[in-house]
This record gives sequence, C-alpha cells and structure tokens, in this order.
Amino acid sequence: METSFAITGKGYVIIAADTTAARSIVKMKIDEDKIKTLSPHLLMAYSGEPGDTLQFAEYVERNIRLYQIRNLYPLRPAAAASWIRRTLADSLRSRSPYQVNLLVGGYDEATHSPSLHWIDYLGTSVEVPFGAHGYGSYFALSLLDRYHNPEASLEEGLDTLRRCINEVSKRLVVSPGKYKVKVVDKDGTREVEL
Amino acid sequence: MSIMEYNGGSVIAMVGKDCVAIASDLRLGNQALGISSNFQKVFPVTDRIYVGLAGLGTDVITLRERFRYRVNMYTIKEEREIEPETFAHLVSSTLYEHRFGPYFIEPVVAGLSKTPSGGLKPFIAATDLIGCINFAKDFVVSGTASSKLFGLAEGLWEPDLEPEDLFETISQTLLNAVDRDAYSGWGAVVHVLTKDKIISRTLKGRMD
Amino acid sequence: MLMPDIAMAPHTLPTQHQFNPYTENGGTILAIAGADFSVIAGDTRQSEGYNIQTRYAPKVFRLTDRAVLAVNGFAADGNMFVKKVKQRLEWYRHAHGKDMPLRAIARLIQTMLYARRFFPYYVYNILGGIEEDGTGAVYSFDPVGSYEREACRAAGAAQSLVQPFLDNQIYFKNQTAPPDSAHPTHLPLPTVLSIVIDSFTSATERHIEVGDGLEMYIVLARGRNLAGLEGITGMQELTTTQDGERVFVVRRELKKD
Repeated sequence: METSFAITGKGYVIIAADTTAARSIVKMKIDEDKIKTLSPHLLMAYSGEPGDTLQFAEYVERNIRLYQIRNLYPLRPAAAASWIRRTLADSLRSRSPYQVNLLVGGYDEATHSPSLHWIDYLGTSVEVPFGAHGYGSYFALSLLDRYHNPEASLEEGLDTLRRCINEVSKRLVVSPGKYKVKVVDKDGTREVEL
Repeated sequence: MSIMEYNGGSVIAMVGKDCVAIASDLRLGNQALGISSNFQKVFPVTDRIYVGLAGLGTDVITLRERFRYRVNMYTIKEEREIEPETFAHLVSSTLYEHRFGPYFIEPVVAGLSKTPSGGLKPFIAATDLIGCINFAKDFVVSGTASSKLFGLAEGLWEPDLEPEDLFETISQTLLNAVDRDAYSGWGAVVHVLTKDKIISRTLKGRMD
Repeated sequence: MLMPDIAMAPHTLPTQHQFNPYTENGGTILAIAGADFSVIAGDTRQSEGYNIQTRYAPKVFRLTDRAVLAVNGFAADGNMFVKKVKQRLEWYRHAHGKDMPLRAIARLIQTMLYARRFFPYYVYNILGGIEEDGTGAVYSFDPVGSYEREACRAAGAAQSLVQPFLDNQIYFKNQTAPPDSAHPTHLPLPTVLSIVIDSFTSATERHIEVGDGLEMYIVLARGRNLAGLEGITGMQELTTTQDGERVFVVRRELKKD
C-alpha cells in the first residue's frame, strides 16, 4: 500500500515516498516518483486516488511556478501549504473532489528554518515535526515519537528514516518495496540514496 | 463514523467576575490515530474576543479564515471593532448560510463587551453546526468531550470567580474531561480575558 | 388465476416484526469506598425515551448488613437480577449460618452474569460494602460479568458526566499536592457525601434521564462510630443484626424537571 514519510531536522526536511504504482492487486510500475519539486526550496509528496494525484500535483506545481513568475519570488512553505490546503478544501465541497493526501516540506529562506505540513484530502492541514500518510503511518508515527530529534544532523535523520522503512517492511503485510527519498535544505532540493 | 468525531477535539468557555476564559485541547487525529499535538482550535478575533472551533479539522481552518475575512470587512466598513454579541451573530449567520451543506463545526465565542457606562461585561456563546446560538450565563462547551465537560463544569464552576480562580476552574474542567475522552487531549491551551490583560497558558496534560 | 398473485406480489410482501426484549430505563448510580465505610447511591427516576414512568423506582438495594447493590440499565432485568442475587444469598445463609462475605458476593455476581453470556441481563452493577478485613470496598461490573475492585465508580446515563468529576475529586487527578504532603487515599465520610450529592445535582441539571430523588446507602464497618453522620437529616438505619456492620439510607430530593 502507498506510504509516505517526512521528517524535519536541523535545517532540513527529508521526504520519502514509496515508488509503486498499483492497480488492484497488480503492481503496474515500481519506479514512480511521487515527490514533486514545487520550487527551489519546496517539496511535496502526494498519494491517494490514482489520476487525481498526478492531476492535482501538476496543478499545484504550475500554480506555484506561476506565482514565482508573476512576483519574482517564490511562496514561503507555510504560504504554499495554506494555498494548497484551500484548493483541497474548496475541492472537497465540489462535484468531484480530489482525493489526494500530501506532505509539503520546505526550507524557509526568510527564517532559515525547515517546515513541514501534513495535509489530507479533506484540506486538514497542520504543521508537524514529522508526518506520514498511508498504512505506514501506523508504524512510523510511533517510531518517530520515540526517535525524532529536531536537532539531528542529516545523517541521523536518514538513520531515523531507515528505521521507519525497515519497520514498515517488517510488519506491514502489503509493504512497498522501494522508496524515493528527497531532501530540502538551504542548498535547495535533491534526491538522496538510502 | 461521525464527521463531527473524525478529527476529535474539544473547546470550553466560562464566565468569571469581570473576566472570561476559553480553553481547548491540542489534538488532531484521524479517528483513533493521533496526527498532531499542536493543532490550535482557539483564535483571537479582536483584542477582546476569542473564538473556539471544535469539529472537522479542515472546517476549523476554513471557518477561521472566513471569520477573519468577515471581521476585517466589518472593521473597515464600520470603522470600529466588532462587539462580541455582534460577532456571535456573524458566526451564526455564516453557519446558517450553509444550512443544507454545513461546516461541521460547533463554535464557542468568549469576549468582553462594552457597556453603555464604558465598563466591560463578560460574554460567552456557543452555536450548533447550523448556527443556533446558545447565550449561556455560566459556561458553554463543544466537541467530542462535551458531555464530560458539562459534568465537570456543572460541578466545579461557581459565579464571580476572579481571573486566577477562573483559570484553575476551566483548566481542571478541561483536563479532567479530556482525560476520559479518547478523541480529545494531547495538551491544552487556556486564555483568560480580563479588562487590562489576556493571560494565555499552555497546559501540561496526559499525552495518552 | 396465477397472474393476479404475481402482479400483487410486491404489495403483499410479508412484513417482518422483530421483538426487542430490551429497553433502557435511564438513571445513574455511583459508589465510593472510604477507609472504613462505603457509600452507594442512585437516583430514583425511571424513564423510557422521553416518558417518565415513575419518579420513585429504587435502583439501590441492601443485600446484607455489609453489602449494597446498585443496578442500572434495563429496569426489569435489574429487578430480576437483584431478586436472584438475594435468593442465592439466603440459600448461603441457610447453608452456612452467616452472611456471604463481600468479595464472595462479587464473584457470585460475576458467575450469575456470565451464566447469561449470550442473553445477558442488560444491567451495569455496582456493589459496595465492607470487606472481611473491615475496609470499604466498591466492585463494578459490566453486563456480562467483567469486574474489578475500585475506590469509586459511576455508571448509567450520566456516567460520562460524573466519572471524570470523580477522577478529579476522589483520585485528585490533574491536581498536585502541596509541597511535602500527599493527597489522601481515602476521604472522610462527610466529604464523600457532599461529593455524591454534588455529582447528582450536576447530573440532574444537565441530563434529562436523571432526577426526582436520590438514595444514598451508607455502610459502616464493624465497631465504627457514627462520626461524620451527625449533621445528616432524615437518616434511617436498616441494620438487622447486632455488633456487625451497619447500613443506613439517606434520601434527598432532586429536581423534577
């Protein structure tokens, strides 16, 4: 089943999402990238109803880009999360709501601090030190309660992420095989190998 | 599965002697799974009004933004700050506009209203999710722990409490109520409004 | 001649009637154990939906001089259950020439409830009284017999209103004791009675199924004096034996609206 995690640390946010695209019981694809880079310092992991996910993610991506072109500066993470949340909240009471769950992580260049927003398809948004979506959240959140450290270095943060992924692989019946991991910090966004 | 209980959370407001208090828990969950222990449900409206929004998480944020917009428009058009009574009616009509597709929120309003003599009078009110107002003289409650809050408040509250005593009363009421509610808790926040200051404190509570 | 029958079939579908053997009769019960006494209380309103069937239907019963049982839920089941418990206690008395100890009554109730595991007595029981070692005790049960000994318990319609209040006032939850002192483990009798009365007036105020009257049974340990009961008006003694535990009942009015 689809699973995504995100962890904040000292000056960075790590976001991980599994790479399987499944239809019913069949794996259609095992190298799907479900983390979009919205702006130089903003990442978004998306999961949910296939079709809705990519459609919505691209809509967000283009609008965040448009804002940057018009204003010559990008939206800060909290503002971007707020706009995305509102889009989902409006969609919820429309004829066909997007069923997309998100983790929006960014590095705020104004305050030099990482920020992570947990957003679900209803438009519920909350800033969290760590977050997760999907069945993996039932295992990861309790682990992160124990091991998360906001002052951890990137390497320590990645170790904590490994703990989460290993636990999900060990205990979840329908666990995903591979994950794509991305980091955002003062230097921008990049993909990292675990 | 009730929509009103999907994210959990509770709010309470109480009247004291020339002061009012409003408090809420800090939990946001997905049914039984806790997501955040820092989800604010109580917001300042003016220097003398606070509103607490218990119910569906997405609507907490949407309504907060909507109230901020409407209060700003009121302030600009009227060239004065909104009074608590007026704000309660603003809340009511905002909710009733959506009578047949409501916001799943039961708001609580607490404030100090101006009297003709220039003094300040405590004011509290609560509404249901379609805006039926309850102007109580003692206390109002809302959220998944509402029945527990009623039991405690009815037992602990007394008239004309001084700010610090009101703080203790509302804190004990909230803490003991949310400890018996699986969907509320994970920390709490209390605001006491007096004529010359606002006391805001985050409480240490059980985290289970 | 077959045609009309088939055409009428949708109109003549047999209607199913299901007999529901249970109802819920409202009300609330509560018990608190002290060091050498026990208080067991219940309101006396009996209702069904918005109808008040009677303003005086006791839910609290003296079983022996050291045991009092409060029964809440489906009144018919409750009355029948108390009747059967009393019968078993009488048989015990005839067989052994003494009253059954409290912890044994608790286990008896568990057995009797679990015997009906698949057609339960739709009742929540709270048993209060004095143990053989002279301590006050409260046992609470679910409808199928799960039970535990506690210091206090509320059950029934206003459980959600009363129990957290008791957590705060009896167990001192969320309260910190003053420096170099601890919260008392057992409260004095007058304090307990005040808490019981406050609990029921609060529940009456906010719950429509609670009100009319309040019955508080007080069980005192063997040899305990009446200290703490001096100011209580209209107290009635129900004790049947000499030099043993003593049972009293105090009745109070509750709001009738």
